[in-house]
Amino acid sequence: MQRLFAIAFLTLRAAVRFRLVLMLSGVLLAAVIILPLIIKDDGTARGFTQILLTYTLSVITAVLGFSTLWLACGTLAREMEEAQMQMIAVKPIPRWQVWVGKWLGILMLNAILLTASGIALYVLMQYRATRLPEAQQTILRNEVMVARGSVKEPIPNYEEDVQRFTKARIAAAEGQPLDINAVTEFARERIKAQMQIVPPGYLRQWQLDLGIAKPFLKDQPLFLRTKFNVAQVSEGGTYTGLWEIGPTNNTAAILRRQMSLASDTFHEIELPPNVFDENGIVHVRFINQNQTAVLFPLEDGMELLYREGGFGLNFARGLVIILCWLSLLAALGLAAATFLSFPVAAFVSIGVLIVGMSSGTFKQIVEEKGISGVDHETGRIEKQDIVDQIAVPAAAGILKVLNLIREFSPVEKLSTGRSISWAETARAILQIMLMMGGVFAAIGISVFARRELANVKTFY
Amino acid sequence: MIANASIESTPTSDVAKENVIAVRGLTKVFKDFWGRPKARAVDNVDFEVRRGEVFGLLGPNGSGKSTTVKMLLGLLYPTKGHIEVFGHSPRDVQTKSRIGYLPEESYLYRYLDSRETLDFFGNLFALPPDERRKRSEQLIEMVGLGKAHRRQVGEFSKGMQRRIGLAQALINDPDLVILDEPTAGLDPIGCREVKDLILALARRGKTVILSSHLLSDVEDVCDRVVIYYGGKIQAMGTLKELLATPDAVRITTPVLSRPVMEKVLSVIRQDVSEDKIRIDTPTQNLEGYFLGVVQKARQSEETSGATSGNRVAAYLRGDADTATASPQAKILERLTAPTVETAASPGTQSNMSTPVEAEQIKKLAALAQPATPTPSSSPEPDKVQKTEDLTKANEKLSSLLGKPK
Repeated sequence: MQRLFAIAFLTLRAAVRFRLVLMLSGVLLAAVIILPLIIKDDGTARGFTQILLTYTLSVITAVLGFSTLWLACGTLAREMEEAQMQMIAVKPIPRWQVWVGKWLGILMLNAILLTASGIALYVLMQYRATRLPEAQQTILRNEVMVARGSVKEPIPNYEEDVQRFTKARIAAAEGQPLDINAVTEFARERIKAQMQIVPPGYLRQWQLDLGIAKPFLKDQPLFLRTKFNVAQVSEGGTYTGLWEIGPTNNTAAILRRQMSLASDTFHEIELPPNVFDENGIVHVRFINQNQTAVLFPLEDGMELLYREGGFGLNFARGLVIILCWLSLLAALGLAAATFLSFPVAAFVSIGVLIVGMSSGTFKQIVEEKGISGVDHETGRIEKQDIVDQIAVPAAAGILKVLNLIREFSPVEKLSTGRSISWAETARAILQIMLMMGGVFAAIGISVFARRELANVKTFY
Repeated sequence: MIANASIESTPTSDVAKENVIAVRGLTKVFKDFWGRPKARAVDNVDFEVRRGEVFGLLGPNGSGKSTTVKMLLGLLYPTKGHIEVFGHSPRDVQTKSRIGYLPEESYLYRYLDSRETLDFFGNLFALPPDERRKRSEQLIEMVGLGKAHRRQVGEFSKGMQRRIGLAQALINDPDLVILDEPTAGLDPIGCREVKDLILALARRGKTVILSSHLLSDVEDVCDRVVIYYGGKIQAMGTLKELLATPDAVRITTPVLSRPVMEKVLSVIRQDVSEDKIRIDTPTQNLEGYFLGVVQKARQSEETSGATSGNRVAAYLRGDADTATASPQAKILERLTAPTVETAASPGTQSNMSTPVEAEQIKKLAALAQPATPTPSSSPEPDKVQKTEDLTKANEKLSSLLGKPK
């Protein structure tokens, strides 16, 4: 370990001596201090804090992300090109320790910078919060600067219904040629729509189970977070509905409220304490009072939020997940630098990063079943060619890998006051740092261990 | 001084036969991006290096010396052939703990100062903190960078970078020291000190491989050499084997009176024709003259650069416990340590005034014998030659440091 840490501290020292740390500290400090002065918000303390958190953390992540890639590529590729690595390779240190030492050094640097900028941001937010009126402070502490757990209704498995519907259609066709895939897809969308849509004058009910959190939520405020879409846009842009929230067996305890809300955006409705029944279930009913159908998405249309912990620790866990992302970028940069020259490694790494951020494109390829000739009526490719046949499974595979990383969204969770649990943090370390980072480490170490370090002409 | 030094221990003859490096059929072909052969840098090379030897790799630029060195260090992989270093592959991690390497250029971290550089490399050898600190201090003093140890290596002159490079190569007290052009960029005093250090290391049973195209470096310190050209070994053997001219003899004496000279010449003319006799006055070489001038200047001038005439690190001398002796005395003692046979032979003169005489008698006896070429397959260092080398080193170092008081 002495050797490994020698490499790690050397990497850290290089960043300090080359004034990278100084420059990054300046940029990060500017992000924390200057951004709040220039960003526009909705005028509320909650909106301002949410935007501040989102923008500042995003900028910090982006700055550290690019500097990590740059440093990772530079520290290894340059040392090989300038032959300093030869001096290390002739010493009794296994090459995997050199690689891991470099990675550890970058991780330490990121941990220091992320902690410093995180503390600055946290202090700034707390300071600004104390200068707000009491009511605004309460809102902030209940909705943003808090760690809130959430419950949703489980998404029902409707595949059986889809199969039943498809079989019925095939039977009804009486031997006529039928595109079974198209019928199945149609059935799936139709059944899903039926579960989401609330037609005019109809009622939709949700049962949100607090589960084991119930004993801890007595006399605690709860928040309903909802979003809906509409079939036809109204003149005012808002849509009225009657909301009933509370236990079904105690009408006196039911909260009834008629609200006019905008579509396609999230709304948070504060609920009085103890609106759950003896089983810890919160019953929510919505009656559509509009002339158009309202659609609540199954994934995020209705969600109940409750206080789970304080903001400070939640914020720290969020930073740990960001650090996991940075550690992955460090592994990516180091892996590229083991067989590429510095500029090429940096270019390739940034290319991979951009591809990684294009998950929407891969999702689209999978949904459209190809990359060319989309039928504008169905929104899909009706006849796949060889390119589509290769692209779809490739995109699906990449998407699967990317989802291992993208399923964590610490910035969004922090800005919406959502809890980032210890389990989620541990999962991020496992999935992002160890599994994904491990893949890059395996590639990087394997190549690095086989390299002829004195044959610099083999670096491209 | 010389006689006292002669009782110090040196490697035994058994140990001296131990192979530190064995190279068989070594070939290196560099290829282009498409795997097509581009250059045959080393071509079917065989040699062995034995413990305690100072082994020279000689050759013009691009002859394959550095490629061979880099294959010995595991920085390049042979296309064909086999290398063993201490009986293992050059890529064996544990073996590397016994090797010190000075590359042909400074490949050190420019942002570290001398102490940090040595501390870093000491860490790579897993040395404990106290040992790292102690060795770093001794090495910095030894290479004459005591006054510049706070400056970053990037600010150093080329010569100073060579000095700190040499120091890092010795931080682990290596059994095998591989030096690639060690005197490149050094001033004459630095060159002399490096050569003296090489001799000192060899006296402690260390094996030294010296790659150089500077013939004087190799001639001053090497026991055996190989001469490369075009990636192939063109010649190999001890310096005596390679350089001796067995059909001529040189006699050096103090200035003789004319009658004595006439007598000597008349005796010689009885057997040798006039045109084959040459008489001249020996001249001092430039290195010796330069060292004398600097030695005088040092007594009155100060310098802010690298200093010279410093003490060999105690752990490299192996006499850390005799710390009370003066530095000069220690270096001289080490450098003038005896050869095995001198210590072992009961008949050897121990009187301080007689070894030179004894040497001369031995030489004359040897010269009187018919010339018998030494087989090139026997690379054991010539012991008489070694004593001569050490005496020469001692004299030069004495002139550099002054006589111990």
